[in-house]
Amino acid sequence: MSTEKIEVKEDKTIKELVGEMSLSSAPILLELDGEIFYPDENYDRKIQAGNRLTVIPIIAGG
Amino acid sequence: MRRLNRVFLYDDGAARALKIEEIAKYLRKELIKVGVEVRGNPFAFYLLQDKVSDYARKIASIKIQDATKKWSSEQEPLYGEIEYEKKMILGKTRASGVLYDGLELQRLFFEVIPGRERSLQFVHIVFSNRLFATWDEHERRYHARVNLCGIPSIISTTGLVEAPAKPRGYYLLRQQYEMLGKDLLELKNSFKGAFIDYEDLRLTEVMKGYAMQSVFYSLVGDPFCQDKGCRLYNAHWQEELIFAQIESEYEFCQRHMSFLEELNEY
Repeated sequence: MSTEKIEVKEDKTIKELVGEMSLSSAPILLELDGEIFYPDENYDRKIQAGNRLTVIPIIAGG
Repeated sequence: MRRLNRVFLYDDGAARALKIEEIAKYLRKELIKVGVEVRGNPFAFYLLQDKVSDYARKIASIKIQDATKKWSSEQEPLYGEIEYEKKMILGKTRASGVLYDGLELQRLFFEVIPGRERSLQFVHIVFSNRLFATWDEHERRYHARVNLCGIPSIISTTGLVEAPAKPRGYYLLRQQYEMLGKDLLELKNSFKGAFIDYEDLRLTEVMKGYAMQSVFYSLVGDPFCQDKGCRLYNAHWQEELIFAQIESEYEFCQRHMSFLEELNEY
């Protein structure tokens, strides 16, 4: 898995978004308008249709 | 491919054999147009003195007590554990024998990085000698790791020794040595050079490749390469990592070399 850009189709919360993408338990960061944050610390945050988010997976090695 | 603005290197009590300035020099050579800055301990660098105790408590609470039990936020650290972490932050001791939840550790580092520097255009790399692990949901246990790419990327000098598997023969003989009560140092010496050991003189050279994995994570979103001779190969065996980082005839495969050339042309 590598970074992925997505466009939000309708208004929703971060929690709804990660639920729909089956990323609730995945180690990821999100980037919105240049701001990077942990989704689970921003579950109630609202995002709007047309917003472009970047999903940044945290990747372990070794 | 993303543009990179700057690379920051931090020292969270990494092994003495690790020469961070030498890694910075290497990165400056590979990334001609990207600034590389060496910072000290990330907590000491960013935190005001009165916050050190708070973070010492937070770090002490992410210790893994049992590798078969997933970390819980309800863990309450002991006074001695907090004091130990305070000393770690202030550089008065070095980690040994403690296992941390890697994702939680990374989250604590993330917290102290100012918002304006939380970007993939900035590559934050923390060299640490803390041993960290990530939870495997399928196997229901933790796995020790060498690196964890994110913001920041963390690279463990202890993980480099402990996480990638040593030669099979080593484990077989170790069982025999333990049963017979023989000196394990003797066994280690008989395998000298076959794996990276503590304070190994090859450590800095090996870590240059791991630093580049963090760079490529920011640059293209994927830190790894399938080519066993490329420094970006995700080695799970000591033999593989020594080959990728030291013995291979080339540093990077053609594909990753071309990314670097493109980056340096901007």
